[in-house]
Amino acid sequence: MDLWNWLEYGAWALSALLGLHMAFDWLKTDSTYSEDVLTSSREGELEAMAEEHAEKHGVRS
Amino acid sequence: MTHYKPPTQGKASQLFDVVVLVVLTVGALFVPLWMGMAGAAKSVATPVANPTWEALGQNAAQAAKYEALGYTPETAHDLILARFDYSFSVTALLVMIGVILLYYFLILRFSEVEYREVISEKFGE
Amino acid sequence: MSDFDITSQTMDGMGPHGTKVGLLRVLGPAHVWALGVGIVLVGEYMGWNFAVGKGGAYAALIACWFAGILYSCVAMIDSEVTSTVASAGGQYTQAKHIVGPLMAFNVGLYLVFAYTMLEAANAITAGYLFSVVATMSGHTGELDQRPFIILVIMFLAWLNYRGVLATLTFNLVITSIAFCAILVLFLSTSGILGESILEHAALFEGHELPYGWIGVLAAMHFGLWYYLGIEGTTQAAEEVRSPARSLPFGTLAGIMTLLIAATLTWFMCSGVLPWEYLGDGVNGSVAPLFDTARLSGSTALVWLLGFGTLFATLASANGCINDASRAWFAMGRDKYLPGWFGAVHPRYRTPYRSIIFLVPIALIFALGAPLDQVITFSILSGLLGYTFMPLNIILFRRKWPLETIKRGYEHPFHPIPAITLLTLCGVTFFAVFLGYGTQLVAMIGFYIVVSLWFHFWRYRFVNRGAQFTMPWPKPRGY
Repeated sequence: MDLWNWLEYGAWALSALLGLHMAFDWLKTDSTYSEDVLTSSREGELEAMAEEHAEKHGVRS
Repeated sequence: MTHYKPPTQGKASQLFDVVVLVVLTVGALFVPLWMGMAGAAKSVATPVANPTWEALGQNAAQAAKYEALGYTPETAHDLILARFDYSFSVTALLVMIGVILLYYFLILRFSEVEYREVISEKFGE
Repeated sequence: MSDFDITSQTMDGMGPHGTKVGLLRVLGPAHVWALGVGIVLVGEYMGWNFAVGKGGAYAALIACWFAGILYSCVAMIDSEVTSTVASAGGQYTQAKHIVGPLMAFNVGLYLVFAYTMLEAANAITAGYLFSVVATMSGHTGELDQRPFIILVIMFLAWLNYRGVLATLTFNLVITSIAFCAILVLFLSTSGILGESILEHAALFEGHELPYGWIGVLAAMHFGLWYYLGIEGTTQAAEEVRSPARSLPFGTLAGIMTLLIAATLTWFMCSGVLPWEYLGDGVNGSVAPLFDTARLSGSTALVWLLGFGTLFATLASANGCINDASRAWFAMGRDKYLPGWFGAVHPRYRTPYRSIIFLVPIALIFALGAPLDQVITFSILSGLLGYTFMPLNIILFRRKWPLETIKRGYEHPFHPIPAITLLTLCGVTFFAVFLGYGTQLVAMIGFYIVVSLWFHFWRYRFVNRGAQFTMPWPKPRGY
């Protein structure tokens, strides 16, 4: 057993820890928020805002 | 005109679609590998018995670099002499060109049909 | 809008069209540069040298420059389209608005595969680096590379999961270090500082074009590797503060950085390493810049380039996770893929489900396939994407001529870049055919099958008119 053997175990452990952290947070998030909120993102928000702004001021870009 | 209303997809059906995609993806990479058709291997056409740097076609500067990298003429033999084989059959080339053209024809054709539907719904009268 | 609350802590209050949690607009032009160059720079540290093996050192240089032309066209075309279609998903969203849904589905898959395979290749290289360092520091026996490969993917996925600003700031730092390492190596080996150790004439003697001119064609295959991924800058579009300005700037600055880095890399490595060794990325030179540093005899350079190589692989894998997850997310959001993937994390504002889903996919390829096959899979997906771009820009200019939409950037000399790009893609297809014809056909067979699957099954879940989100006028000819 030299340093690198320990590092191997360390890498396994750290990987598992990070993976568990992500999985835990994922499940927590999914159960805290409703699916509607989580998947509410829509494409083209900036464009939609610019468009509404332009319409309000009577100019078409 | 009436707008198309997509059906809502259930959890099980969503999962099934993902599995189909993953299986196809993994298949596309690993099937050629398993069938041993992955090609692109180099091979040594004419091995040199008892190699020296000169016999391997290396001048003094080249030999010095190999020695600095820790090689001897014996250990460098395969590395230096291995070559790709670029011979190919015209039929195989034509098949490849055909497959690529077919592919682009197919997606552009279907895309156009779907695109006209999108545009007529978006900018519909 | 009744559920629009600008003071809410949990919702971002962006409002229109019902987005309650969207991606966060926090990035500047430097992050775009870091994303683009970060993904690609690893190509100078490993992988490009397969081009030397394919046709010799001169062939690799010719391929480097022709691929440079190819990518300059890619960067210009991409900058023009993306300065008007600024959305996560990048080329996928472009294709959806300009060519059509099935093309968009294919482009989305090219992106995800090109990046996920590149990520796997980076993790493999990082694992190898750890084993080299272990051997150098006196470890006896073979190091198990798997935990380190997994750790690299896990750590970067975790970083991506936790927010885009930290992820790309991390990329900016390590990419800059890796780029500076190349400059330092050039200054210290080329004779500008200290004595030159380059011996081009002697090393090339008798090996100018070992395969003749067909080797030059074959080298184009891995010539792409010098720049592969620069088009990924567009994936950040929804997270950049002013996309119309930052994206063209970051992308074009990126391609210039890479042209310099690629040429310097070729110059140094070919002047120090014999071509047979340099060109064999499996049994010979896995990390050519690192090997060049080793032969320079300077311990400081060895360490610098060792870290440079590690940082470049990390930056690249990091950017790949970012880009692949954005593309996967954008397709989920439009129901091109199951809508479940279209979720954004309410706190970290990242497409967290896509990030998690792609982790095991990357692991399958990183742990189960040889490096050159993974690279080839990535290059092929990229190449199909580049072939799409000229079609895209030609249709874009035809359906929406310059006066109909204002572009943040207009690329010059249209349609010369498009035609050049299409021609070079044709040459590269031939080059891939010379070495990996079976994979090419298997790959295209795969895309044909999934295209049929999409057209006849998956597309029923997609909202037709609503997926066209840009505030553009009706296209000409429809």
